[in-house]
Amino acid sequence: MILVTGGAFQGKLEFAQKTYGFTDGWIDGRNCGFAEIRECRGIHHFHEYVRRMTGTGENAFLPDEENDAETCAQVPWNFENEDLTALENQADLFAAWLIKENPKLVIVSNELGYGVVPMEKQDRLWREAAGRICTCLAARADEVVRVVCGIGMRLK
Amino acid sequence: MAKTTNYADLHLITGGSGSGKSAYAESCVMAASLNEDYQRFYIATMIPYGEEGQQRVERHRKLRAEKQFVTVECYTGLERLKLNAVCRKIVLLECMSNLVANEMFEPDGAGEDTVNAVLRGIDMLRQQTDRIIVVTNEVFSDGIRYDAETMRYLSFLGAVNQALAAQADRVTEVVYGIPVILK
Repeated sequence: MILVTGGAFQGKLEFAQKTYGFTDGWIDGRNCGFAEIRECRGIHHFHEYVRRMTGTGENAFLPDEENDAETCAQVPWNFENEDLTALENQADLFAAWLIKENPKLVIVSNELGYGVVPMEKQDRLWREAAGRICTCLAARADEVVRVVCGIGMRLK
Repeated sequence: MAKTTNYADLHLITGGSGSGKSAYAESCVMAASLNEDYQRFYIATMIPYGEEGQQRVERHRKLRAEKQFVTVECYTGLERLKLNAVCRKIVLLECMSNLVANEMFEPDGAGEDTVNAVLRGIDMLRQQTDRIIVVTNEVFSDGIRYDAETMRYLSFLGAVNQALAAQADRVTEVVYGIPVILK
């Protein structure tokens, strides 16, 4: 698994497509389904998928998945509470599950944590969950790259 | 933009606010032009608002004059700027985040054409000088979902930064005064 991170508008997806050599098989965290994450080659806007997992915006399931009890039962997340220890445990469970399901996945995610604490509770939860999940993913990743101004620097 | 040997050497310097990137950029200019016959130019892009802004600008201008910089204000239309000197020219442009905002939001700015206008400006500058150091700003990592206009500003500045980094000879991110070499 490869994690590509960095600020918004840095050319991360373009960098990942060029570096890892594929432009097809990418899904978008803003509108993808739960099942797709297990099968795709790459996911970008992953932080937006985390936002959906924390219960804000679009549901993390597509409508047909939402009605499928079997799929829902496999969900390895519960990010809708503010308890930090619980959040960390959930993040680690999710990261472990994702890598087991899709070991060659390339994940492109924004850094969200370099600002002041957000005013809204939901935004705080999202930022915290995205940070914890990406930290857990980075710990298990084969490679971690941070992109600044379109230039990738390998951190791991 | 194809790079030719006639183009000025370009060094892009980025970093967060208060990272020490301005001081580092100035030290790069001084180091590069210490023993050479260079005219130093400082292209100031921040529009000074109010008395406090004027005073700050005046103070910085004096400090730079001691270091033999000629300060040139350029808030929009960088591509029309002409720098005159009989010797070689070294330029410090600060800050790209202001120039992009000015082009987007000032009445005489480039508006929708901001990214191209700024890149044309840098291109013109590279053709008439010998070394350029551009200071820009890392404002992309706070995770805040701003209004559409601000998101558009971030996307424009991000696009300018990427294009400059691609053509630059050197790219440095300054972290607490420590230069991290990206390219």
